[in-house]
Amino acid sequence: MDILLGSLMSGLLLGMVLALVALGLTIIFGLMDIVNFAHGEFLMIGMYTGLLTAQATGLDPLLTLPLAAGIGFLLGILCYGGFVKFLLRGPMIAQLLGTFGLMLVLRNIALMLFGSEDRALLHGLLVGKSFDIGMGIIISATKLAVAVLAVLSFAGVWLLMNRTKLGKALTATALNRQGARYMGIPTERMNALAWGIGSATVTVAGALIANFWSVNPYVGLTFTMIAFTVVALGGFGSVPGAFFAGLVVGLIMEIPGFWDFFAITFNIGWMAHVPMTSFKYMWIYVAYFVIMLVRPRGLFGWKQ
Amino acid sequence: MKRWPRSQKMMLGLVMIAVLVLPSALFAAEDIKIGVLFPLTGGAASAGRELRAGAELALEIANNPMPDINMTMAKNSGVKSMGGAKITLIFKDHEGNPTLGADLAKKLILDDKVHGLMGAYHSSVTKAVSAVAEQYGIPLINDSSTSPELTRQGYKWFWRTTPHDVYFTRDLFEFLKGMTEGKVKGLPAVPKKDIMNLASACEKTEWGSAVSELIEKFSKDYGFEVKKSILYAAKATDLSSEVRSLTAVKPDAMLFASYGSDSILMMKTLKDQKAAPRILWGQNAGFEVPEFVSTLGETTVGALTRTVFIPKIAQVKPVAAKINAMYKAKTGNDLSGASARSFTGLQAWVHVLEKAGSVKPADIQKAANSIEIPGDELVVPWQGIKFATSGEDIGQNTLGMGLIGQYQKAADGKIDLEIVYPFNVATANMIYPFPKF
Repeated sequence: MDILLGSLMSGLLLGMVLALVALGLTIIFGLMDIVNFAHGEFLMIGMYTGLLTAQATGLDPLLTLPLAAGIGFLLGILCYGGFVKFLLRGPMIAQLLGTFGLMLVLRNIALMLFGSEDRALLHGLLVGKSFDIGMGIIISATKLAVAVLAVLSFAGVWLLMNRTKLGKALTATALNRQGARYMGIPTERMNALAWGIGSATVTVAGALIANFWSVNPYVGLTFTMIAFTVVALGGFGSVPGAFFAGLVVGLIMEIPGFWDFFAITFNIGWMAHVPMTSFKYMWIYVAYFVIMLVRPRGLFGWKQ
Repeated sequence: MKRWPRSQKMMLGLVMIAVLVLPSALFAAEDIKIGVLFPLTGGAASAGRELRAGAELALEIANNPMPDINMTMAKNSGVKSMGGAKITLIFKDHEGNPTLGADLAKKLILDDKVHGLMGAYHSSVTKAVSAVAEQYGIPLINDSSTSPELTRQGYKWFWRTTPHDVYFTRDLFEFLKGMTEGKVKGLPAVPKKDIMNLASACEKTEWGSAVSELIEKFSKDYGFEVKKSILYAAKATDLSSEVRSLTAVKPDAMLFASYGSDSILMMKTLKDQKAAPRILWGQNAGFEVPEFVSTLGETTVGALTRTVFIPKIAQVKPVAAKINAMYKAKTGNDLSGASARSFTGLQAWVHVLEKAGSVKPADIQKAANSIEIPGDELVVPWQGIKFATSGEDIGQNTLGMGLIGQYQKAADGKIDLEIVYPFNVATANMIYPFPKF
C-alpha cells in the first residue's frame, strides 16, 4: 500500500511540475498558436538565472524568482519583437524551423557562457529537503513548492483569459488575427504580451526547479518534448486541460511504481522482472497517440 | 664572369650534402594522424573533457623529450622508429550518439585519412565505431569503454586497454565477500545477511545493460541475491519512480551504472526519498566525474565507486605522482579514471606505432598483437598492457585491474576518494554502513 500511495502522490506532484513547465507553452502554442521549440531553453535560462543569482549573491534561491520572471518576460518580448514576429509572416514551417534555430542558438550561447558541466544548488530553504508523512508518502520540498506555484499560476492564467478584457483580446488574436485587428485589437502587442507572460512562467518554473534538478545547457529538450505532449494532450487552447494533462503525464510516469505495487502485493514473480522503468517515457507517447486517435483535439480542446 | 670564393663553394657543397645525406626520414617523417572520438558535449561532456585532457597530456609527452619521466614514450621526440614522426590527434565530438560516432569515424578515415582511431567512452558508440574500423581495416584502440561485448565480436582491428566490466563487477563481489571475511581495512567482518540483498539501477544502453546482467550473474556465483534490477534512461528528467522501485525491496546494497547528469539526479532523488542502504556503489563513469562531488557535496561521503585511478595511488607509484602533478598543473583537477585511461590509451598507441615502425595498417595490427608494456610505465595500477590474441576476449588487455574507492571527508573538509579495494593497497578505513542521507 505504501508503494501505491507513494507513487500516486509522487505522480501528482511531478504532474504539477510538468504542468507548470508546460504552462508557458500552453499560452504561446496552445492559445496563441505559435510553435515554440525553444520552450525548454527558456526553462534552462530560468534555471541558470536562479542558480547563478543565488550563488553570486548568497540569497536564498527562492528570492530569485522575481528576477527570473523579469528576465523571462523581457526575453519573451525580445524574442517575439526581434525574431518571431517576422516568422509569422511566412508559412507554418518558418515557425518550426525558426524556433528550432532559436533553441540551438540559446543552447549554444549557454554552452559558451556556462560550459557543459552540471551545476546544482547546494544551499537553500528547499534544497535537499523532503517530508516523510508516513504511509510511504515522501514529499520533496521543491516539488511541493512547484506544485503550489503551478496551481496559483494556472488559476491566474485562467482568470486572465476568462475574466478580463485582455484575455478576450488574446483569445481573439489567437482565433482570427485579421478579424481581431479590424476590431481594433493591437494584435502585435497581444502576441508580444503572450510571449512575455509565457516565457516568464517558464523561467520562474526553471528558477524554482533548480532547487532540485541540476542544470546544464542540454536540460531543455526533454522538457520541451514533454511540454508539447502536455499541451496537445490537454487540448489546444485549454488552460485547465493543460493542468489536467500534466497530472495525467505525471501519473503515467509513475506506472513502474503501480506495477511494483501489483507485483509485490500479489507476489507475482514474473511481474517483478519486467523492466518497466525502461519504458517509462514510452507510455506518455502511447497515451498521447491513443488520445489523438480517439479525440484528436485533445482532452479539453476547443479549436477545430 | 665572377668566380665564387672557395669558402662559399664549400658552404654550398655542405648544404647540398646535408640535404642529400641527412636521414631521409627526417624529411619523410610525416605526421601520424589519430582520430579520437569522445563525448565533448552532451550529458557525458564532463567525462569527455577529462578524456581529452588526458590524451593531450600523453601526446605532449610523446612528441617532446622529457627524460625525467620514467616512460619509454617520454624519452624520444615523436615516434623514433619512424624518424621522430610527430603524432597529431584529431578530436571529434560524438555527443554520446552511436550513429554520429560511426559517421564521424567514417569521415576521419575517408576525409582526414587518419592512420588509427581511439575512443569512444560510451560502449554503445565504441561498438558502432569498431564496426566502421573493422570495415575499413583501420586500427582502433579503445581506452575507456567497458562493455565486455566489445572484445567478443572477434574483430581484427580492435584492441582495448581498460579492463572491462567482468573484471570490475568481479572486483565488487570479491570486495563484498572480503567484507564478510573481515578483510576490509578498519572494519570487522560483516555478517553476510547484513549485505545479502542487492538492488541495481543501470542506464539502459549497451554499457548499463551489460553491467546489470553481470551483477545478476556474479550475485548468483557469490551467493548474494538481487532483489530488484532496473534499467532507466540516462536522459530521464525524473527518477523518483525508479528510486521508489529500488527502495521498495529494502536492499542492503544499492548498485548503479550511471553516466553523468543521471548519477547526480539519482543521488538527489535517493536523498529526497530517504533511501537507507548499507552500501552504495557506482560503476565509475557518473560516480567519478568531478561534478559528482562538486554538485552533491557531502551527500557523496560513504559512496563507493569502482575506478582505475585514484590520486592516492601516487603514494605507491612515483610515475603516477609525476603525471598527476603535470595533469593538475594543466587542468586544475587530479587525474581520474577517465583521464588516466585516455592517457594510457594514447600511451599504448605510441608503443604500438614505435613497434610497427610504419603507419601501414597491417604493420600496426601485427605490432598491437605483440606489444607488452610493463606496469611500472603506467599511471594506472595495472600489471601492464598485453593484448589477447586468442580466446574469448580477442584484443583485450589481459594485465588490467580495477580499484574500488570510497568518498571520504579529509580533515581539511575536502572530499576525496580513498582506496578500499584491493585490500592490500587500502589507504583508509572504510566507512560502513553508508551514512543516512
